[in-house]
Amino acid sequence: MNGPVTYEELATLMKGRAGLDVDAAALEERPDAEFATFDLDSLGLLGIVSELEKRYDRSIGGEPEMCKTPRAFLTVVNEQLTTGV
Amino acid sequence: MTFSGDTSPPSAVVTGMGVIAPGGTGCDAYWKSLLQGVVALDRVDREGCTELPLRVAGEVRDFDPERLIENRFLVQTDRFTHFAMAAADLALSDARLTGDPDAPFAVGVTTAAGSGGGEFGQHELQELWGHGPHFVGPYQSIAWFYAASTGQISIRGGFRGPCGVLANDEAGGLDVFAHACRAVGNGARAIVTGATEAPLAPYSMVCQLGYPELSLAQDPHRAYLPFTDDACGFSPAEGGAMFVVEREDSAHLRDARVRARIAGHASTFTGTRGWEHSREGLARAIRGALAEADCSPEQVDVVFADALGVPAADQAEALALGDALGARAAVVPVTAPKTGFGRAFSAAATLDVAAAVLALEHGIVPPTPNIAEVRVDLDVVTGQPRTAPLRTALVLSRGLMGCNSALVLRRPEEPRT
Repeated sequence: MNGPVTYEELATLMKGRAGLDVDAAALEERPDAEFATFDLDSLGLLGIVSELEKRYDRSIGGEPEMCKTPRAFLTVVNEQLTTGV
Repeated sequence: MTFSGDTSPPSAVVTGMGVIAPGGTGCDAYWKSLLQGVVALDRVDREGCTELPLRVAGEVRDFDPERLIENRFLVQTDRFTHFAMAAADLALSDARLTGDPDAPFAVGVTTAAGSGGGEFGQHELQELWGHGPHFVGPYQSIAWFYAASTGQISIRGGFRGPCGVLANDEAGGLDVFAHACRAVGNGARAIVTGATEAPLAPYSMVCQLGYPELSLAQDPHRAYLPFTDDACGFSPAEGGAMFVVEREDSAHLRDARVRARIAGHASTFTGTRGWEHSREGLARAIRGALAEADCSPEQVDVVFADALGVPAADQAEALALGDALGARAAVVPVTAPKTGFGRAFSAAATLDVAAAVLALEHGIVPPTPNIAEVRVDLDVVTGQPRTAPLRTALVLSRGLMGCNSALVLRRPEEPRT
């Protein structure tokens, strides 16, 4: 993943925002597994988007909160964060 | 769903109880505190709560949610739901009941709620006003709602049967049992039901200051004295109780221990025009519940009173008992264990139901702590617990907004009528 947001950071956010014990390696090994398999619900994902917007001090378009998998999510987020406002 | 050949709804019984009360967690600790007449009311010492006019309440001080509830449920729920999930675990374990993946719709959940998730909500609103909308977590959208506990117990346990929440005042704590009985009558095998509250956070406590019935007394031993000349309102409490209410035939099929039978219930509404009006409403609720239970006033062995602690309300309750029970009202033992630990809004009646089931099991009426002499014509049990053969208990509850409910519980071996 070439973007600023890594699987590591996603795993940390899943723990901090949604209380989930998820290993970054597990996300990286199964990037196309649905978030539901990691027990992450839609509100949890919304909280992660909101946290990233605070961290990077900008709003993130492209509806990443609608993404179903870690890979899709990081792709949208990093596109948004690297391609200007 | 109807059952052909059924002439009456299936009997509903209590097969599990989980209690989290200011005096103790678990049925055993709770019962011990009731028998000893422990006064768990105390000055609230939580951050942000010490400078408020409301000083005395019943706090649950030995509760460690992180030891009992998974993190993913903790981050999205308020303390009142932590209590609910933990109490539901205790009740399910007591009933030896687990969700059946092959029959997910057989078990449902119904809770009552009156205070909601005030602590969680306050935290998020402080983020909103202090930092901006982006700092409000999405779980605010579910955590402070009355329905949160029902939803989370359902999700956590895989209980996808009939689910509901009653947000109808303190009396909802009794009405959930009628709701559960109806769900069981409609085909559910069991309902996880009850109520828990966590109203001892700054925002929630400030909300309560508008209730003229709230006691602002400073002394934990003098703050909540229903039925006495010194009655000055009620002291609030947190905690509550959850139960497994089950179809009697299902309970027998799986050899479950039946703790009590839910024999009758009725509720009325008399509004907020003045506590004297609750006399008629409560009397009608008592008559209705006894009629459903096919129980005569002489068969009522113990009354768990609402005991609001407001003179007009206490008088109305005593008169209602006289109206509904006749001569029996003056001699039946009446108790209000909640004077020792406070009135936990919707959960107050569920703690009374738990106390009533324990009383029926032990043949002992727990006392009414802090009360010595009463000004009403009732035999209020004070001082020591009283041993008596108990077969039938009557539990009463009134809400600050005008609901009046009565529930009749019977020992399991009492014949169904």
